[in-house]
Amino acid sequence: MQYADHISSDLIERFGPDVFRHQVTADGVLTLWTGKENIVPVVQYLKSNHYPLLYDLCGIDERDRAGKETFTLADFTVVYHLFSFRHNNFIRLKVALSGDYPSLPSITSIFQNANWYEREVYDMFGIRFEGHPHLQRLLMPLTWEGHPLRKEHPARATEMGPFHLYDEKQDLEQEMLRFKPEEWGLQSQGEDTDFMFLNIGPQHPGTHGVLRIILQLEGEEIVDAVPEIGFHHRGAEKMGERQSWHTYIPYTDRVDYLGGVMNNLAYLLAVEEMAGIKVPERVKVIRVMLCELFRINSHLVWFGTFAQDLGQLSPVFYMFTEREKIFDIIEAVCGDRMHPNWFRIGGVAQDLPKGWDRLVREFVTHFPKHLKEYNDMVLRNSLIKARTRGIGVYTLEEAIEWGVTGPGLRACGFEWDFRKKRPYSGYEMFDFDIPIAQNGDCYDRSLVRVEEMRQSLRIIEQCLNNMPEGNYKADHPLTTPPIKKHTMQDIETLINHFLNVSWGPVIPPGEAMSCIEATKGANSYYLVSDGNTSSYRTRIRTPSFAHMQMVPYISKGYTVADLLSILGSVDYVLADIDR
Amino acid sequence: MFTDTVLLSATTPFSYFPIVLQLCAALGFVGLTMFATHFLGPKRKTSDKLVTFESGIEQKGNARQPVAIKYFLTAILFVLFDVEVIFFYPYAVNFRELGWDGFLAMLLFVAFFLGGFFYILKKGALKWED
Amino acid sequence: MQHVWIVLGVLFVFLNIAAGLIWVERRLLALWQDRLGPNRAGPLGLFIVLADTLKLFFKEDWIPPFADKWVFILAPTVVVASVLMGLAIIPFAPGIVVADLNVGLMFFLAMSSLGVYSIVLGGWASNNKYSLLGALRGASQMIAYEVFMGLSLMGVVMLSRSFNLTEIVAAQEKIWYVFLQPVGFIIFFIAGLAETHRLPFDIPEAESELIAGFHAEYSGMKFGMFFIGEYLGISLISAMTVTLFFGGWLGPAFLPPVVWFFLKTFLFIGLFILLRASLPRPRYDQLMAYGWKLLLPLVLANLLITGAVALWLKS
Repeated sequence: MQYADHISSDLIERFGPDVFRHQVTADGVLTLWTGKENIVPVVQYLKSNHYPLLYDLCGIDERDRAGKETFTLADFTVVYHLFSFRHNNFIRLKVALSGDYPSLPSITSIFQNANWYEREVYDMFGIRFEGHPHLQRLLMPLTWEGHPLRKEHPARATEMGPFHLYDEKQDLEQEMLRFKPEEWGLQSQGEDTDFMFLNIGPQHPGTHGVLRIILQLEGEEIVDAVPEIGFHHRGAEKMGERQSWHTYIPYTDRVDYLGGVMNNLAYLLAVEEMAGIKVPERVKVIRVMLCELFRINSHLVWFGTFAQDLGQLSPVFYMFTEREKIFDIIEAVCGDRMHPNWFRIGGVAQDLPKGWDRLVREFVTHFPKHLKEYNDMVLRNSLIKARTRGIGVYTLEEAIEWGVTGPGLRACGFEWDFRKKRPYSGYEMFDFDIPIAQNGDCYDRSLVRVEEMRQSLRIIEQCLNNMPEGNYKADHPLTTPPIKKHTMQDIETLINHFLNVSWGPVIPPGEAMSCIEATKGANSYYLVSDGNTSSYRTRIRTPSFAHMQMVPYISKGYTVADLLSILGSVDYVLADIDR
Repeated sequence: MFTDTVLLSATTPFSYFPIVLQLCAALGFVGLTMFATHFLGPKRKTSDKLVTFESGIEQKGNARQPVAIKYFLTAILFVLFDVEVIFFYPYAVNFRELGWDGFLAMLLFVAFFLGGFFYILKKGALKWED
Repeated sequence: MQHVWIVLGVLFVFLNIAAGLIWVERRLLALWQDRLGPNRAGPLGLFIVLADTLKLFFKEDWIPPFADKWVFILAPTVVVASVLMGLAIIPFAPGIVVADLNVGLMFFLAMSSLGVYSIVLGGWASNNKYSLLGALRGASQMIAYEVFMGLSLMGVVMLSRSFNLTEIVAAQEKIWYVFLQPVGFIIFFIAGLAETHRLPFDIPEAESELIAGFHAEYSGMKFGMFFIGEYLGISLISAMTVTLFFGGWLGPAFLPPVVWFFLKTFLFIGLFILLRASLPRPRYDQLMAYGWKLLLPLVLANLLITGAVALWLKS
C-alpha cells in the first residue's frame, strides 16, 4: 500500500490538490474522485507512469444509494480500474457525473480496450462518451428501449408486460441485425475485388456459443472482423441488485460456466472483504482444491474443442471422459456437477464427505499419464503445429494494451499469475510454477494451458496431503446460512439467525473488488453495498470480454481457417463475455 | 509409336457398350430416387426457408459476386500442368521401346516442366498471403 | 444379357456397401473414440442404416427459391453418377468386370475428374456464401490432386505396360506393386483422400469453419446423394488402391478371388475412417503447398527413377 500513497501524492503534486478527493474502501484500493474534465489527462499520466493496463471500466447509478452524501452528490459515476504490473497495484478513479443522461470524454484514444467498456457503460446507463469512435449498444439489442442498469429500469420480466414476437417485430429485429459496413467504416470494395461480408455466427459450430463475428473477406483472407456480442446476455449484474447477498451465489456459477465454483470464489472474496470475515484455513484449502479441479476441467474442455476446431475429431471425447472423472469428484463433494453453487459467505456449504481423499488421490495418480498422451496426440501433431504456430500472434505490449490476462498473457513470456502475485484464499501456502511461453501465438497459448493443468494437479496434490483440520465455516454473524449453534440459548442470536435466514445478511456499507486468476484470466467482482440485504451494484469483470475485443486485431490478414485456430486458442465462454 | 498390341487389341465399339449400360443404370438410379423422394417428403413453405441461411442472420449482399481471383489462378495453373501431364501417359506405356533416348527426352521434358514450376513458385502465384 | 446382370450387380453391391458404411463408419469412429455409437436399432444397431435411409427418403425435398434450380439438381446427380461410372472398369475377379476397357485407367481418371463438377455446381447453385467458399476451395483442391493422382499411377503403367486394369492385376501375380511403387501408392492414396474430400482433406466442407460448405443448402435425398456419393467415393478409391497396388483379387486359393478383393477393399475403407478419427485438417493453402512443394517433385522423381531402373534392368 506504500506505493498507493506515493502515486497519490504524485498525482496531487502534478494536477493540484483540488482535483482529487480520496475515498476509503474496504479493499484498500487507492480510490480517487475527480472531475470529468481531468479524466483524460489523469489516465494518460497514469498510463505513462507504470499503469499500462485498463483493468476495468464500469458505471454506477448513484441516485438511489443510501448514505452517499458523505462522499458524493453525483447522479452517476464512471469507475476506472487501472493496474500496474511493476508495482503490483490497483488504482481506482471515479468520475462524478450529474444530470439524467450525462456525458464525459472518452479515453479510447489512450486505451484501445476502452472501446467496448465505454460502449457497455453507454448501453447500460445511457452515459455518453464524447470522442468515442462508434458509441453503439454492445450487449442489448439495438431496438432495446431504456438502459438496463439504471435504477428505474425493471429488473424482472414480470415487471415489463408480456412479450410478443410479432412478424413485423421479428422482421425489424432481423433488419437491425443486418450488417451495414459503412457504419463501421468498412469498404465494400477493395482495389481490385469486391469484399465478401460473411456472418460467422450466432448459429455456427465454430463460435462455441452465440457469438457473431462479421468477416470482411477477400477470398479466404480476413481484411477486417467485427465481433458482435450480447446474444448470451442475461443481465447477471442487474440480478445482483435484486438477489440477496446469499442468493446471488448460484448466479455467479453461470458466468463462466466452465469455471464452476471459481466464480463463487471471486464473488465471495469481495463480499467477505466488506463483511470483514476471515475464513478458517480448512475453508481456504477446500476452496483452492475445488477451484483447481475446475481449472483442469475448463482447460480440458478447451483442449478438446480446440482440437475439434482444427478438424481433429477424437480428442474431445477423451477429454470429456477425463472431465467426467473430475465431475465424479465434484459431485461427491458438492452434490452437483457444472454449477455446484457450493461456496458460502464465510465458508463452504458442507464439510468434505468421507472418502473424498480416495477419489482425489485416484485422479491425481492417473491423470498425468493420460494428459501426456493427450498432449502427444494434439500438441505434438505436426498438422496442429502448422495450423497454430505463428497464427494470431500478439506481443506483450499489445496484450497489455488490450487487457489480456491469464494464459494469453503468459504465452507472451510474461510471468504474471494473480495466484502468485496477489495471493488470495491461501494460494501463498502452495508450491507451484507459473508456466510461460515466448511467442504469443495460438500454439504457445495452448502449451501454457496444458502446463497449467499439470501445475493445478500439483496444487491439488498438496491440498490432498495437507488438508488442515478445522471448521468448514467462519465463526462470524454474517456467514450464510447463519450458524445455528447458539440460537436456542439466547434471544439475540435467535433474532439474528431468523433475520439472516429470511432476509439474508446485511453487509456493511462499502466497496470492494476481488481479483482472482480464473480459468481464462483475471476475474473480478466489484461490489458496492449501501448497507442493505442485497448489493447496490455488482460489477463483473470477466477475462473473456477483454479477449474477445482483441480478436479482430489479431485475426486481420489471416484466413478463415486461422480464425478458428485463433478463437479456439483464445478460450472464451460466451456467458463470460456477455454476463 | 502406338503399335503396342495391348492398346489396340480389345478396341471394338462393343467394348464400350457396358459403359453405356452402366451410365443408364447410374443415371436411372439417381434420377429415380430423386424423382420419387421429391413426392415422398412433406412440403412446407415458411418465410425462413425463403432466405439464405447464413448463421441465422440476414445476409449482407449475396453469394453472386466477383470472387478473389487467387482461387481461379491456382486452379488454372493446375489445369496447365494437367495438360502437360498427358504427355507422360503415352511415354509410360512405351518407355521400354523408346529406350535410353526416350528417357533422355523425358528427362528434358521433366526439366522444362520443373522450370515452369519454379517460375510460378518464384512469381508467388501459390502464396495465398502476399 | 450377362452385362446387364453385372451392371445391376455392381450397382446393388456398391449401393449396399455405401449404405452399410453409415453404420460401419459410426461404429468404428465410436470404437476409436471410447464410446458406443449407434447400438439401439436392431442387432448391433444395424438398423440405423434403414432408419437413416428412410429418414432421407421422407425428408422434405427443398429447392431454395434463391438457388439456380436445374444446376442445383444436377450437382448431386453428377457426384453419384461419376463415381458409379468409375466403378465400371474395376475387375472384381477374373471375368467379373462391367467393361474391360483397354484405357481403363484413363477412364477412371476421367470419371474422378468429373466429381469436381458436383462441388462447383452445387456450391455455386446454392447461392450461399459458405457454399461458394466451399466450392472454390473444393475446385482448386480437386483439380490439383487430380494431377498428382494421374502422375502417381504412371509408375504402375510403366511396370505393367497397360492401362487395362485386368492386365495390371494379372501383372501383379509375382509381386504386388505396392512393393515396387511404394511412393506411387502413398501419393495415390493421399490424392484419393483429397478427391473424396474426406478428413484430413475435408476442406470444402470443414464443418467447424464452413458448416458443410458446398452442400449446406441441400436437404432430403439431394443431400443424401452427396452422402452416398462420399461413401461410394471411398469405396471406389479403396477398390482402385487394391486393384493397382495390392494385387486386386489375387490371394491364396482358400478364398475365392472376389472375397479377397472385397476383404482388401474393406481394409482401406477402414483406413479412411481411421484417418478421419485421428488427423486434424490442414489449412487450404497448406494443402496446396503440400501438393506443389512435396508431392509434385516426389511424384516426378518416382516416375524418372522407375523408368531408369526398369530400363537399366532390361539392358
